[in-house]
Amino acid sequence: MNCLQAEELFSAHFEDELNYQTLKNLESHLTECERCEHEYILFEKSVKAVQQMPQVSPSPQFGHVLQQRISNDEELPANHLIQTFSFWKRLLSVCRRPRWAVSGILLLVIAVAGSYLYQENLFNRKQNPEMVGSNRTRENPKQSIQLPVPHGFNGTGISSPISTQPMQQRYILKRVSYVNAPTQGGL
Amino acid sequence: MPELDDELMERFQKGDETAFTLLVRRHQQPLVNFIAQFLGDKGIAEDLSQETFIRIFKATPRYKIGRAQFKTWMYHIASNLCKNEIRNRGRRSRYWVDNTITTGDAGDAEMDRENVIASAPADVSYQPEIQFERKELRNAVRKAIAELPEQYRLPLVLRDLQGLSYNEISKILELRSGTTKSRINRARLMLKDKLKLFMEPL
Repeated sequence: MNCLQAEELFSAHFEDELNYQTLKNLESHLTECERCEHEYILFEKSVKAVQQMPQVSPSPQFGHVLQQRISNDEELPANHLIQTFSFWKRLLSVCRRPRWAVSGILLLVIAVAGSYLYQENLFNRKQNPEMVGSNRTRENPKQSIQLPVPHGFNGTGISSPISTQPMQQRYILKRVSYVNAPTQGGL
Repeated sequence: MPELDDELMERFQKGDETAFTLLVRRHQQPLVNFIAQFLGDKGIAEDLSQETFIRIFKATPRYKIGRAQFKTWMYHIASNLCKNEIRNRGRRSRYWVDNTITTGDAGDAEMDRENVIASAPADVSYQPEIQFERKELRNAVRKAIAELPEQYRLPLVLRDLQGLSYNEISKILELRSGTTKSRINRARLMLKDKLKLFMEPL
């Protein structure tokens, strides 16, 4: 242990908070180093001098003056227990804290994005209720589009049903719906 | 007794105004002492202590029982008020010598010595020299505390003059326990260097 390390432990030693090994090391250093031993004695004396400083007491009128100040304070409501803060005042106080403000903005963004995606999904369902979800199309052979394939094309003489990809189906159906849409008064 | 403070706050929240008076009586002395020792100004200590109690009074409906100790909350408010006061009055360090407040230098030590001797009672057992030495040491300690940087002075006053635990000080100053301990040790080492002249055996 060097002198700097010993100095770091002065408070802990003074308050008897050192463990056995550290105390042993510090004590052996203080025995060897005369300067540190002297510094520790001064340290102990000065801390005791601070701790023995006389206490400052309030004047006898302290309570009375406080009571007057409270009753004269215009900011305090008549019934202090019913301090109702307006909604906006509370919101402003929350927004003053940066973490709260950032998390609030993030929540708002998530909520807006979520509602937008939900609405788009709903629109797609309305447009094409049976085409939503690729699994349903694959599971149900009736929904797959049958293209005419000449007999014997694959050499077996059996025609195989070819199903289109869900994205392609959505595109085709959307295009159809735009074409058939009524154009009264619009473009 | 933190439980008693919580009980008093709960009673006050329910409308019992005597509970607040009891809270003030319980804490007015340590609070005034803390502010006076930290700012080195007895004159403003009462004013800021009252301001602390007014803030507590206003914030009572929002106080949550059991969330934090009343004492740490009170010292937190008081230390913030003290920091504002230091900011307002600039960098000058203040401390009082007996009943007078001086700014800057230690002041009239010689005049103080004469006053002590002049006001000494006609008692054989009374030793003005010893009295004077003690007074001089107290003034030197006040000066040394006042000269400490704020970040070291505040934990030192809370620990050595108010007798709070490290845990309580960490909560008041919103510091880690290790930081609090090292700041207190550093403050004590600085004080030791400043008070060397008074502590060295002649």
